[in-house]
Amino acid sequence: MSKLMFTTALAGAALAAQTASAQEVVVGLFGGSFAEAAEECHVAPFEEQTGASVITQNSNSSQFAAQIRATGGDSDFDVVYIDNSFAEQLTAEGLLQQLDMSKLSNSDDLVEGAVGADGHYVQYQWGATALAYNPEAFDEKPTSWSAVFDPANAGKVALPDISGTAGVHFLIAAARLNGGDIDNLDPGYEAIKKISGDVSAYYTQADQIISMFERGEITLAPWYPDRAAAAADAGVPVAISYPDEGAIGIKVTMVIPEGAANSEAAYKYIDNALSAEAQTCFANKMYAGPVNKTVTLEGPAAKAVPPEMYDTLYFPDPAVIAENVADWRRRWQREVTR
Amino acid sequence: MRAPSTGYGLLTPVLALLVAGFLAPTAIMALLSLRTYSGMQGFGDEWTLANYIFVIGDPYYLLIIGRTLMLGLIVTAACLLLGFPLALFIQRSRPAVQTAAILLVIFPLLCNIVVRSFGWMVLLAPRGLINEALMAAGLIATPLDLMYNLTGVIIGLTQIFLPFMVLLLVPALQNIPADVEAAAFTLKSSRPRVFLTITVPLAIPGIITGSILVFVLSISALVTPRMLGGPTYKVMATQIYDEFMTNLDWPAGAALAFVLTVIALVLIWGANRVAAHFTRGFSA
Repeated sequence: MSKLMFTTALAGAALAAQTASAQEVVVGLFGGSFAEAAEECHVAPFEEQTGASVITQNSNSSQFAAQIRATGGDSDFDVVYIDNSFAEQLTAEGLLQQLDMSKLSNSDDLVEGAVGADGHYVQYQWGATALAYNPEAFDEKPTSWSAVFDPANAGKVALPDISGTAGVHFLIAAARLNGGDIDNLDPGYEAIKKISGDVSAYYTQADQIISMFERGEITLAPWYPDRAAAAADAGVPVAISYPDEGAIGIKVTMVIPEGAANSEAAYKYIDNALSAEAQTCFANKMYAGPVNKTVTLEGPAAKAVPPEMYDTLYFPDPAVIAENVADWRRRWQREVTR
Repeated sequence: MRAPSTGYGLLTPVLALLVAGFLAPTAIMALLSLRTYSGMQGFGDEWTLANYIFVIGDPYYLLIIGRTLMLGLIVTAACLLLGFPLALFIQRSRPAVQTAAILLVIFPLLCNIVVRSFGWMVLLAPRGLINEALMAAGLIATPLDLMYNLTGVIIGLTQIFLPFMVLLLVPALQNIPADVEAAAFTLKSSRPRVFLTITVPLAIPGIITGSILVFVLSISALVTPRMLGGPTYKVMATQIYDEFMTNLDWPAGAALAFVLTVIALVLIWGANRVAAHFTRGFSA
């Protein structure tokens, strides 16, 4: 039995088969406040310019990847927002279209490294895994990943579980801090295992960590600057620090899956999202790091995701992550959180 | 007399549904579980038993399997202990009370399982209702760990599956002829003795079916262990979900799912044998 037969057979069982007519563009994006901001900055201007209508579906990167795989080259989606390691993996499985950069008028203004996997995805936003801390609990802001391992903070630290991006990134940061790197994570596991008895909680959801900061149960946690900035706006006692060793960079990308019904409209949708206006709008709404070099930020967004910070981030190789992350998770479950 | 085969036509709709909606996907999953998988290449083309060997030989998976079975046993026992007196009460009440009580038992089933699990999160959280109340009353100094561990999952699952146990026990108790107990009482048997030697043994068919149902539902429950067990307290169902949806390693997830299925089938078969042994000689 061939691979193809599996995937076509599974296609029948695929979730939410949305059939779209010619003027409808099906976009998969992330839920919550992200969806609201995307509606305003990405969807509305696109609909206005093209007269097309957008159907959105909310989920997360790994579930999008599972859906795209389940429909095996005949995807219901036209555009999907997805983390670059999943984009890398889907590219390797032949499920994504190679993008024609000449159809993206804003592609010349993009930061270096925004286009990846031989043109199968384009980054529209950068984020990071950095240190979130309670400014009332620290006289000086923590400037190193080592603060997480500092006995002075024992019992006041939450760590991200490895099922999410922040957990994978924190593991890499811990390894780099202790003389390892992405190809040698042993020092990271060792360091985390040593403090795991003192870790308040392993979190997977934003609301978990927000309530822990609110209730004063923790004062320090590896977390995302965009989420932390949004929480701070809502009155949560939390601030962000980019560690001196380098925060771990996140590339969130847009892809067009094989079999997309409206590739042309998909290009226009992506091109609009890369425009300076949409990038500025999204940075102000979502604290999304802009990838369009012509964008200058002001106010809270400039503090949360300073464009000049982009070059200091450490971007792990998404192919290495895609290839090994399942094994990293298995080891984490066995050695850290078991 | 009609030909014995005519009745089979009645099975066609349900048969079609089961073949298309259950057997076919199960067969695909069975084949998938025999495939190799790697992060960047996806499914391989060779056949392998490696996924099963890994599941059966890995101490972590064995821990999770053991934990899941233990969870099933505890939840079943708790449902039985709570459900049996309730079922007895219902069986012995006036018809009006009976109807009201059964409606109350069914009532929680009308509420979505996510909502009920979330309700328990609100109650059991470190700063939740129960801990706040106990601390305000001065009974405890630091919050009890009621959530993100075995305790939370047991509490949640017991409440959620209790109605199934009660609904199966009531008819079993109603099937016990009232004369049998009355006869024992006229022979001066004590109440505990009547309960232990007559009521319970005659209710065994209901106890067994109720226990099997609650046990199987408990070991395959996903939502409640995920919410009340948190990210780090894994049971088989959550581990299978993670293999499929987080690691995208479908072959490993499928193998794990079949191991769970085989365990469930063996236990159901065993329980039926036990039931057959106990219920020899009478029909209930």
